[in-house]
Amino acid sequence: MIFNMKIMLNYIHRFIFFVTLITLSLSSNSIEVIEILGGKASQIPIAITPFNEEIRTMGEVPDKKNAFREKMHEVIANDLERSGLFTSLDTSGISTIPDSDILINFSNWSALQAQFLVVGKIITIQNRLITRWSLIDIYKEKTVLSMEFSGSKKQYRGIAHKISDLIYKKLTGSPGVFHTRITFVKKKSQKNYSLYVADYDGFNQRAIVNSSQPILSARWSPDGKKIAYVSFEKKKPVIYVQDLTTGKRVLVANFKGNNSAPAWSPDSKKLAIVLTYSANSQIYIINSDGSGIKQLMRTRSINTEPAWSPDGKEIFFSSDRGGNPQIYKVNVDGVSDVNRVTFEGKSNLSPSLSPDGKLLLFLTQDNGKFRVAVQNLLSNQVLKLTKGPHDESPVFSPNGHMVLFTYKDYGKTTKIGTVSINGLKVTPLRVGSEAIQESSWGPITSN
Amino acid sequence: MKIILKLQDNYDLQANLFSFVIHFGLFIFMLASIQWQMKDVYYSEVELWDAMPMQVKAQPVANKKKSADIKKLTPKAIEKQKQLKINEDAEIKLKKKRKAEKKAKIKKIQKQALKQEKIEQLQKKLLEQEKIEQLQKKLLEQEKLEEIQKKLLEQEKIDKLKESILDQDVKKNARIAVEADQELFAGSNTGELNKFKAMIQQKIYQNVNKQLCGLDLVELEFEIQLMPTGELLGEPKLTQSSKIESCDQALERAILQSQPLPVPKDAKLFSKLKILTLKFSPNAYTE
Repeated sequence: MIFNMKIMLNYIHRFIFFVTLITLSLSSNSIEVIEILGGKASQIPIAITPFNEEIRTMGEVPDKKNAFREKMHEVIANDLERSGLFTSLDTSGISTIPDSDILINFSNWSALQAQFLVVGKIITIQNRLITRWSLIDIYKEKTVLSMEFSGSKKQYRGIAHKISDLIYKKLTGSPGVFHTRITFVKKKSQKNYSLYVADYDGFNQRAIVNSSQPILSARWSPDGKKIAYVSFEKKKPVIYVQDLTTGKRVLVANFKGNNSAPAWSPDSKKLAIVLTYSANSQIYIINSDGSGIKQLMRTRSINTEPAWSPDGKEIFFSSDRGGNPQIYKVNVDGVSDVNRVTFEGKSNLSPSLSPDGKLLLFLTQDNGKFRVAVQNLLSNQVLKLTKGPHDESPVFSPNGHMVLFTYKDYGKTTKIGTVSINGLKVTPLRVGSEAIQESSWGPITSN
Repeated sequence: MKIILKLQDNYDLQANLFSFVIHFGLFIFMLASIQWQMKDVYYSEVELWDAMPMQVKAQPVANKKKSADIKKLTPKAIEKQKQLKINEDAEIKLKKKRKAEKKAKIKKIQKQALKQEKIEQLQKKLLEQEKIEQLQKKLLEQEKLEEIQKKLLEQEKIDKLKESILDQDVKKNARIAVEADQELFAGSNTGELNKFKAMIQQKIYQNVNKQLCGLDLVELEFEIQLMPTGELLGEPKLTQSSKIESCDQALERAILQSQPLPVPKDAKLFSKLKILTLKFSPNAYTE
């Protein structure tokens, strides 16, 4: 009898245990879930303080105090603002600005709505400049980065750009482009054209080609070693590739008709170019030394402005095959079907791809205005970045977060500027009073 | 007595009985608690359609045919009358022929009677026709009224839809997942709870910077604990990463930046929002 009861109790026990488990698992559902779909394109508020400057003389006449304080502050703030992802807060209202990450009064900075704080100190000894700086998370009240850079005083801009790059990388996950270079063409007169190389913000310019004839479509090779460009030196457009370290140049394409629109393959070994060899404009692929030319595809319509996809498998181009110019793509072997990519707007031209291949940059014609636009190739949503009316030759920054383009205000000469990929920040580049055009952006290099 | 004695000696049985009693008690308690949880779900669906109007089309078609017959018959009758008059004249002229007269008279009477009958019938039919037409008119009016009512109802429906669309617009970018929990909170203050959930969602959404999350459709999840002040208790716990560090951090900042979150003052209601799961999908296409 007792034995039977034991078995029964055992069963009841098991049953109760089982039921309790179920009830428990049911009640664990009671945590409320809130779903938040989508988000905004907003700018991170960051407080960049002017770094305190300390001069350590060694028997020499000391420098003018605070020679670099404002300059470096300006470089870092401009860099981060130009990306369109940050807004630099005015710190002049804060009475005591710290120069290191210790003894930070966090309530001061959160009152400013700052999410991050950059503090630092500049020490100059003779010709050298040392910067100790920190990036601080205001919400979490902790130091995110703390570093020391040094160089010659002349390199102060480079050091400041490096600081911007590191802050950018830390907070956005993408490499900064503040240490990269660009090219542009200055038209000094009808018979004086120069191709310039400069820092991305237009500083430290130097001419690498001077010509009495127009220079067009300069393009950096992805490895950063060469520049391809179109010159009218032969009384018609021909394509040169110039080595940036040696200054030597090779005439890559001088075929019958016009030779134009060079586009580097991602491995820097080939160029897609446009020839009018057989009547109208057609795309050809050629080795960067000028050998091994072959036509991409044969059609009756105009195919021009080639751009490689970052994986090197596809070529995007503009064509009038549908009537008005639109952007299409085709496999590099030229065998596959041609697919139309852009559908919004009367006409779209000058394509190029972001480094991740997810965004298409182009010019769109909209009510007679030419504006810079990007199309998300995953969702096909188009965002117009600029107002126009005469924007041209847009190119991506090497991280795909900014665009360099040429613009022209009514009755004025052409200028160049950057626009952030969210369209929030347009910044003109002040590189001269002459007509500035045909700009391009170099890659991120290790040095 | 024997049983009690037995029990006193047998600790095993004692323990079993005790355990049985406790378990029985727990079982009853559990049944009660399950029953307490199993409340009917309230549905708020409202059917706005009215009863369909009666179909009354078949009758009028038949009547119209009849009225056409009547119109055809009337001129015929007049003609016959005229003929009868001519017969009368002939009778005066041919008095000698009585048989003919008699026949004619009989014919006349017969025909007149017939005519009378026909006229009466026709009159009746005309009256009926009138009545039917009146009825038809009434029915038509009825129909019209019903149509107007229908339209009004539809308008109401549209208005309601518009309202709900507007409502959705407000919550456009973040629908609240309540389905799963509705069962548990049926009967409690669900509306009030949802109101606070919507407010929390709106406040955090304002601070979501999707730019640091690339372009892919990433999803991430945080668990947060709230204090009655709406401030966070501890740090947000990342339970599902987007695999993009800058994105995870940007959304953590969005949560931190949203402090204090709107929470109810009522302690019972607050207890339901004390621990929250926040699901983000920053690159979801919301247009």
